[in-house]
Amino acid sequence: MTTGLKTTLPMSLLPHVRQNSFLFALVLACVSVTTARAATQPITTVRLQADHIAFYNDQYLIEADGHVRVTTSDGTTITGDTFSMDLKLNRFLIASHVHLSGPGGRLHGAALADFIAFDRVYFVPVIEKPDRWTYINGDFRHPIKGREMPGDVFYFPNLGNAKPTLTAASAVIGSMSYVRFNDATLRIFGAPLPLPSYYIYFGANSDLGQNSLSGANFDLTWNASGTNNSITAIHFRRDTANGPFLAAEQHFAGRHEFAVVSLNPATKRDKFWNTVAGDRIGKRFQLNLFEQLYTQQHDLGDPSAAASSTYLTFTQAFKQSYIQGAIQQTYYNLIGRASPAIPNHPIQIHLYGVTFNHQIAKTPFFEQLHWGFGFNHDTSTGYDNNTGLQTYGNVAYTTIWDHSLGYTVYLPDWKFGNRDNFYKTYAFNASESVSRLWYTVPHHINSATTTFSISRTFSRDLNAYVAYNVVNTGDYYNHGGYTPYAPTDANGNPDTGFLAFRGASTLRTATLALTYSATPNFLARLTFDRHKDFPNAVPGIFPLPPTNNIGQFLYSNYLGQPPYDISGEVRAKILPHVMIDVQRTYYFNFGTERWSPQFLVQFSQ
Amino acid sequence: MTRRLRALGALLAVVLLAASAPVSITGQLLAYQGGFVFFTTGDGFRVAPGVRILDNATKKPTSEQPAPRLYARATFDAQGRVVELDLSRAPLPVGPLPEAVEPFVVAASTPFPDPELAPASRLNAQGVPRHFSGKPVLVTITVQVPPNTPFGSQVYITTDASGWNPQAIALDRIDALHFRITRRIDSGTILHYLYTRGTLQTEEIGQNGLRRTPRRLVLSDTDVRAIDDIVYGWADLGPPGSLQAPQPNTIPTPFNPNPFPNLPPGLPTPHPG
Repeated sequence: MTTGLKTTLPMSLLPHVRQNSFLFALVLACVSVTTARAATQPITTVRLQADHIAFYNDQYLIEADGHVRVTTSDGTTITGDTFSMDLKLNRFLIASHVHLSGPGGRLHGAALADFIAFDRVYFVPVIEKPDRWTYINGDFRHPIKGREMPGDVFYFPNLGNAKPTLTAASAVIGSMSYVRFNDATLRIFGAPLPLPSYYIYFGANSDLGQNSLSGANFDLTWNASGTNNSITAIHFRRDTANGPFLAAEQHFAGRHEFAVVSLNPATKRDKFWNTVAGDRIGKRFQLNLFEQLYTQQHDLGDPSAAASSTYLTFTQAFKQSYIQGAIQQTYYNLIGRASPAIPNHPIQIHLYGVTFNHQIAKTPFFEQLHWGFGFNHDTSTGYDNNTGLQTYGNVAYTTIWDHSLGYTVYLPDWKFGNRDNFYKTYAFNASESVSRLWYTVPHHINSATTTFSISRTFSRDLNAYVAYNVVNTGDYYNHGGYTPYAPTDANGNPDTGFLAFRGASTLRTATLALTYSATPNFLARLTFDRHKDFPNAVPGIFPLPPTNNIGQFLYSNYLGQPPYDISGEVRAKILPHVMIDVQRTYYFNFGTERWSPQFLVQFSQ
Repeated sequence: MTRRLRALGALLAVVLLAASAPVSITGQLLAYQGGFVFFTTGDGFRVAPGVRILDNATKKPTSEQPAPRLYARATFDAQGRVVELDLSRAPLPVGPLPEAVEPFVVAASTPFPDPELAPASRLNAQGVPRHFSGKPVLVTITVQVPPNTPFGSQVYITTDASGWNPQAIALDRIDALHFRITRRIDSGTILHYLYTRGTLQTEEIGQNGLRRTPRRLVLSDTDVRAIDDIVYGWADLGPPGSLQAPQPNTIPTPFNPNPFPNLPPGLPTPHPG
C-alpha cells in the first residue's frame, strides 16, 4: 500500500491541513470504518502455487500445471498436477495425484472439485479402487459415498486457441472478488511485460471502482496490489494538457463506504492531490466528500503555488423526495505567493430539495419539482475585479443569498403511426425544465430548456431521430442591468447585432441523426446539427469555453456555436473483447473552424 | 432362396465382425495413476498391465505420457481393462459413456441420486422455466435518461466484468431521452452494472438521490432479451442553481453571478440604469 498523505505532503502546507483537519478526520474515519467493516466480511481465499499459472481475462479462467499447491483460508492444503478455476462460477478443480490435508482430515485421490459458493467438495478417491465422494460444509471426515455429482464437475474449460492474458508464479484468489498474481508477466499485444504483481478486481462492489482521477486520452493502469476492500494502482497516462505522466491511486471500499486518494499527475510540476469519499449511513442518509489540493512543485519540494477546494454533500432521502446540502470552500492561494494569484477563498452553502418523478393524473406526462436556498460569501476580489462577490450600484456584495424554484415536465415515450408494426412506429418524447433563481443582489435568472424528439426504427439495422432543443436564459435586473455593447469580430469590425443583447439568450439546436448497425459488432452514425442562436454566432466574438485535460469543452451550451456541424462516428469490434470508436466533426468553414481539432478515439468492450 | 441365404450370411458376418471389434471411448484425461485412468466425466477405468500408449494421429508409440488435459481414445479388452491409450492434443469427442462401456467403470460405492441435483422448478416472472446453457443471447438494453441529461452527453454501462471501468460499454442515443445497445451475451451470465456518463463521478443515482446498488442481470436461455431501465439522476447534476460538483483536476471558478459563461471580453458588467 502507498503511504498516507501526511508523509508526502510538503511541510509548508501543513497549516492548511490543520485548517481542514475536520475533513481529513472524516476521510480517515471513512477509511478506518471501511477497513473495519470489510474485515468483518470474510471471504474464502485460495492461495495457488504452480510451475506455470495462466490467466485468461476474457473468460475469467485460471489454469495451472505442474506441482500445484493450493492453500485455502480454512488451512486446508491440496496438492496435485493440474489446477483449473472459473472465477465467475467460483469453483476450482485439482486433478491427478491429489493429496489433501487439513483440519478436516487427509485424503488421496485422482481429482477434487470445490464448489466454493455451495460449500460442496466432490472427490474421486483412489484407495483399493476409485470411488465418488461428496463432502458437505467442509466436513472431510464424513464423506457421502456414491452420491451422484454434477455432470461437468471435473471438466476442463475449452480454451481453444486463446492466449493467456498473463502468466505468473503464484496467485491469491479472493472468491467472487479479486485475484492477485505474483511475479506476473503481462502480455500487451503479444509483448511480455514482467511485473512483480498484478491485481484484478471482479467483484460486485462498484465502490471499489470509484476513482478520483481526471479524464485522460490514454490510461494504462497497473493495479499493483489489493484485497477484497482495497486497491493500490499506478497509472501510466497521457492527456492533452500534460502529455505523458504517472499517477498513483489508493482505493478503499466497504459495504456502504469508500475512499479514494490519488496524486495526478505525480510526475509533473502541477500536481493534484485528490480525495473522494462517501459513506451511506442507514438506508436514507449519505455523505460524500471531494477534497482537492493543487500544488505547483518539482518532485516533492516546496511548492511555488497551491490551492485547494473542498466539496462536501449530505443527502437525506424521504419517501417521495430528497434534500441535499452542499458546502464548497475554495482556497485559491494557500501560500501567498505566485499563481494562482487571486487570494479568494469563497464559501458556498446550498440546500435544495427534489421530488420524485410523478405521473400527472393518468396522462403520459411526468413532473418533478425542485427548490433551493444558497449562501455565498467571499471578501476578496470577485469576478468583476472588485472586492467581494459582485459590485452593483457602488455596493460590494461580499455575501449573496439566493433561492430558487423550478419544475420539469416530460413525456418519456408516446407512440404513433402503425403501432402494430414496430418498424413503422414513431416515438415522440418531450421535456421542459423551467427554473427561476433569485439573488439578494436585485436580479433574478430565468432558465428554460425545452426538447422534442421523434424517432423511428426503420429496420433492424437503421434507426433515426430528429430533435429540437431550445435553451432560454435571461438575467433580469430590477434596475438597469446589461448595457448595449458592440464587440469586434475576427476582422476587427463591430458586431452591431450584439447591441440588442440585454442579458437574455436563446440557443436553438435542430438535430438529425441516422444510425446504421447491422450487427452488434459494427455501428456507423451521422449526426447533423443546425444551431440558430441569439446573440448570433459571429466568428471571433465569443471566447471558446475552457477545455478539460483531454481537450473537451467543459460545458456544451455556450454562445457562438458554429451554425452547422456534421459528425461522423464509426464503432467496430477489433478484438474479441475490444471495440474501437472513432468520431470527428466538420464545421462547414465557420470562421477558421473546419474540422474538430482531432479524431476522438475511444476503446470499449 | 439362395439370395435370402446370402443376405443372412452377410448380416451374420457383420454381426460377428462388430462383436469382435474392440470397444473404445474418447474423452479428456483427468488423471492417470494407481493403475487407473480417469476421464473428465469422472469415470475411472482399470488399466491393463502392458497398456500401449500411442499417438492418436499416427497410431505409433509416443514418448508422451498420459496427463490431465490431454485427449485420449481408450480401448478396452473383454474384461473391461484399458489395453490401449491413444493420446491427442487436439480435442476428441467428449460425451456420455456408451452402454457397452458403462459396466467397465470402477467404483467402490453404489451410485445413488443427489437430491440437490433434482431439476429445480426455477421459473422466471412469466412462469417460463429458466435454463442456462451458455449459448449466446442477443440482449438489447434500452435506458431512459433524465431530462436534465446534457444533449451532447454520451452514456455508458460500467460492469463488474470490466472491473467497473466507467466507459466499458458505450450506448447509442436513439432519441432525446433514450439510449440503446445490443450485444451478444452468454446465457448463465450474471452481470452487475450501472450507467455512467463516462466517469464514476457522473454515475447514475437513485430516485432518492442516493448512490444506488448496481443493477443485476441474470441471463437465462432465450433467443433475444430486451431490458428497459430508467436512470433518475446523475451524481454530478443537481437542479438549476444548485452547486455543481467539481471535477478532478479542475479548481472551481470563482463565484460568477452571470449565467453566460463566455460573453465577449470588454462587455460592461451589469449596473443600475
